[in-house]
Amino acid sequence: MLIRPTADDFGTIGHYLGRVLLLVAVFGLVPTVWAVLAREWHPLGGFLAMVGVFALIGAAFLRSFPDHETLDWRHGMVVVAVTWLVVPLIGSIPFLLSGHFGSPLDAYFDAMSGLTTTGLAVIQDLDHLASSLNFWRHLLHFLGGQGIVIAALVLFAGGGSLTLYYGEAREDRVLPSVRSTARFIWAVAVLHLVVGVAALGIAALVVLGFEWERSLFHGLMIFFAGFDTGGFTPQSTSLGYYHSAWFEFVASVLMVAGAMSFGVHFALWWGGRKRLPVNLETRTVIASLLATLTLTLAGLAALGIYSDVAGLSRQGAFQLLSAHTGTGFSTIPPSELARWGGLAFGGMAIAMALGGMASSTAGGVKALRVGLTLRSVGDEVRDILLPHRSVVDRSYMQFSRRWLTPELAKAAMTVALLYVALYLIGAGVGIAYGVPLERALFESVSAGASVGLSMGVTEPAMPALLKLTYIAQMWLGRLEFIAVFVLIGFIVSAVRGR
Amino acid sequence: MRATGILRISVLLVAVVGWIAAFGPTAAGQTRDLAEFLAAPEDHAGETVALEGELIGDYGFRRNGFMWTQLNDDAYTRRPLVESGFLGGSNVGIGIRMPHALAAGLDPPGGYRQRGPVVVVTGVFRYHDPDRQGETYIDVVALRVVEPGRRLAEGPNPITLGVGVVLITGAAVVLWGYRRR
Repeated sequence: MLIRPTADDFGTIGHYLGRVLLLVAVFGLVPTVWAVLAREWHPLGGFLAMVGVFALIGAAFLRSFPDHETLDWRHGMVVVAVTWLVVPLIGSIPFLLSGHFGSPLDAYFDAMSGLTTTGLAVIQDLDHLASSLNFWRHLLHFLGGQGIVIAALVLFAGGGSLTLYYGEAREDRVLPSVRSTARFIWAVAVLHLVVGVAALGIAALVVLGFEWERSLFHGLMIFFAGFDTGGFTPQSTSLGYYHSAWFEFVASVLMVAGAMSFGVHFALWWGGRKRLPVNLETRTVIASLLATLTLTLAGLAALGIYSDVAGLSRQGAFQLLSAHTGTGFSTIPPSELARWGGLAFGGMAIAMALGGMASSTAGGVKALRVGLTLRSVGDEVRDILLPHRSVVDRSYMQFSRRWLTPELAKAAMTVALLYVALYLIGAGVGIAYGVPLERALFESVSAGASVGLSMGVTEPAMPALLKLTYIAQMWLGRLEFIAVFVLIGFIVSAVRGR
Repeated sequence: MRATGILRISVLLVAVVGWIAAFGPTAAGQTRDLAEFLAAPEDHAGETVALEGELIGDYGFRRNGFMWTQLNDDAYTRRPLVESGFLGGSNVGIGIRMPHALAAGLDPPGGYRQRGPVVVVTGVFRYHDPDRQGETYIDVVALRVVEPGRRLAEGPNPITLGVGVVLITGAAVVLWGYRRR
């Protein structure tokens, strides 16, 4: 029997939603100030309107629901799922008013892509976009990558934070409390921000020969998009704009750092490095990276696209790393990526589908789930092959020795299967619109795994239903299904419950 | 002595190619459409081509004597979005490099409120250049400015500014009421 949510349930959800929206309003002030400093008066109006809407709705929710209970799992998941729908909606206001988007749906598409750290874009004339709007696009990556709700946890005390934490697809607490873990996540981000922007800025200044203001600008934008595995870039030709192996190398380091779990960051900073090589997740991600890299390079060699090993290695390895970390930077145009058929296509698609580590900003199935699934299958096979009374060791290493219970294996496999279904549904919609199978599948995996690489299907003129499909895929993929399913269940309970 | 001779011949060759490119048949309007050109880039590898477009983004003057930038040939090259409000799809651009000397005196590259110089560049199409680990770009040997760069006017929208201020004021009032409770 479905139980209809009470007024207290709605009050608690509304109260926390109000808090989060107010926090995003504060973040929205940053590009507003940027617009003032850069004297970009036209975008300024859009930013003020956006901040106003965020603040007014947030304040109205707080005023309407001043009393609240402690969040339970249901409340937390609903808050997270709604936040990730509403923030891009209001956050798209400056985009829409900029004149660079053909429709509100297009503006929402890019805002959702930014927040979910996907990187697919339907913006038009990006190369003439105001710097403040470009900054907002990339700041959305940062907010989404680090987790808006995580930010709320850092600032707001209160019970029930665990549900919000897990709602944003974070699985491990690296410190005893969720709040201290959230603080650690933001501390890691800020440290990387300082070091990453400095490294990229110096590379742009010294190697690329840009003016210092522009070096800093490019450094900041590429940091946000690289460390948060987003994939937006300030210029239309993505990382190919820079024509520099050095710049790509620095960006690659940030991409890898972004795709690492915060548990690994913690181990690297505060000891525990020795345990990393034996971790199931570390082993899985290294194995999948090597396997997909081999596939991609072998495929490119077979296609004969590059005439020399150096070119094949640099271009192949960078696109593959971008795919596997879920970043979506590219040094080649979508039309060229579309020619990567056969093994190269297979390597790239598998890398995107698998994604990075759990509790990172990368999307996809995630290495830990892949590792657990493979381990579980292996254990079952060993169980059958070994003598009747033999006992199979069902433990695995993930910073400490843990037990691979049937429930854990089932949960990992379920989410993996949901991702496969998500990829196939998106591909099906693409095929229905006449997109060739390979491209439809590639684009769908890219959207569902929050990658952002494109074979040219994603463009301003693509059908509205396909845009809506990719938006839904980005939302579902980023939140790893559960929060969205709880929201759907909550709505059904509100309508049909007793 | 021999190296100096080769260098002289190279400079002479570049000068001749540059002269032909700047004043020869390609400069008389026979430029290629970049989108069509990039649709089958492998067919044009190593060709000397003439392209017309707007210089965009940054001028990266590198220590090796080359300046890198991007050449866009799209709807906005002819009709800047700020002036026309016309949306013509995504940008179409390609990286170009040229000797520092060719880039001297160019107006600022295109960007927000800035229309970059529209130029005709003539150069060799380097497709998956082995010397640059597979990069694709135009190695420019001649450049002619067709239309100088200029500032584009774009002012504030009083309606959105006003709406924003009203909304923020409204939020402050509501929040003040909440805090008082």
